[in-house]
Amino acid sequence: MAVLSQIIVPLVMALVGIGMVVSKKDLFSAFTDGAKDGMKTAFSLLPTLVVLLSAIAMFNGSGASVALAKFLSPLGEKIGIPSEIIPLVLVRPLSGGASTALITDIFEKYGPDSFAGRCASVIAGSSDTLLYVISVYFGAVGVKKTRGSVPISFFVMVFCVFLSVLMCRIVFI
Amino acid sequence: MIGKICGIICVISFIFGCFTGNLSQLSSAVVDGASNAVTLTITLMGMMCLWSGIMRVAQVSGIIDKFASLMSPVLKFLFPDAYKKKNGLGEIAASISANIFGIGNAATPLAICAMEKLQENNEKKDVATNDMIMFAVLGTASFDIFPTTLIALRRAADSQNPFEIIVPVWICSFLTAVFAVLLVKGFCALKKR
Repeated sequence: MAVLSQIIVPLVMALVGIGMVVSKKDLFSAFTDGAKDGMKTAFSLLPTLVVLLSAIAMFNGSGASVALAKFLSPLGEKIGIPSEIIPLVLVRPLSGGASTALITDIFEKYGPDSFAGRCASVIAGSSDTLLYVISVYFGAVGVKKTRGSVPISFFVMVFCVFLSVLMCRIVFI
Repeated sequence: MIGKICGIICVISFIFGCFTGNLSQLSSAVVDGASNAVTLTITLMGMMCLWSGIMRVAQVSGIIDKFASLMSPVLKFLFPDAYKKKNGLGEIAASISANIFGIGNAATPLAICAMEKLQENNEKKDVATNDMIMFAVLGTASFDIFPTTLIALRRAADSQNPFEIIVPVWICSFLTAVFAVLLVKGFCALKKR
C-alpha cells in the first residue's frame, strides 16, 4: 500500500509524458494552461488562509485551547470519551499541525498502545481538519453562503469521535 | 459561517490572553499565523499548478470522461446536479480517489479543481449548491486507505504494532462517510435553496 502511494505520482507524470509524445493534440499547452489557472486559484486563497491561520494560531497561542480542553474533559468522561483525548477532539477540526503535536503528546504520556493512544489514532485517521477544508474549498471558488456545510460536518465529526471510541472498545478490549 | 467562527475564535483567544497575561505569545502567534499562511500558499501553489496541469491534460485527452463514467453509478446518487449537467464528475472522481489513496498532497488541489467545476454548474455564484455541500462534507470526513503520517507517528513512539489501528480506521471512516451522506441528503431534502 505504501509503495502504491509512492509510485502513483511519478506514474501519472510518466503517462502525461507519453501523452505529450504520442498525442496529436497539444497536451503541453493544455498542461501549462491548467497550471496557470491553478496558480491563480492558489493565489486567491491567500487572504482566506491568512485570516484562518492567524485566528487558529491565536487560539493555540493564548492557551485558550488547553483551558477549554481542561474545562470540558470531565464532561467528556461522562459521555464516554476518555479525558486524555479531549484536547485532541477539540483541536482536530481546527488545526492539523496542532493535532499532530497533541497525538505525539498522547503517545509520549500514555503510549501508542494504550487505550487513549489507540482512540487518538483512530480519531486522527478517520477525521480531517474541518475548518480548513470548508474554508479552502469554498474560498477557492468564492462561495460565501456555505449553507449547512459547517454544522453538518460538525455533526459528522462528533459522530466520528463517538464511533472511534466505540470501535476501540470493541476491537481492543 | 466561517467568518463568524474565525471571529469567535479571535475574541475568545484575546480575552483569554488578557486574563492569563500570555499577551506576548499571543501577538507573536498572530504574526506567525499570517506568515505561515504565505508559506502554505506557496507550497499549495506548486501543487495546484502541477495537478491543475495534469487534470487539464486528462480533460483534453478524454481520460477524465472515461474515469467519470467508470464511477458514475455512485456519483449519480451523490452528485445529481453534476451528473445531469455532465460537468465535474471526472474531477470529483479524481479528487475522491486522491483522498482515498493518500496521493502526495494531491487531495486539496484536485478538490479545488472539482469545486471549480461545481461552481460552473452553480446559478447563484455566492451560494453553495447541494452538490458542493455533499462534496465539502465528504472532504471533511477523510477516508484514507493508508494513513501514512499516523503510522509513522505510531512507529516513532515505539508502538508494538503500528498497523493495528488500520482496520478500525477503515470501518470508522466508512461509517462516518455513510453518516455524512445521509445527513447531507436529509438536509438537501428539507432545505431547498
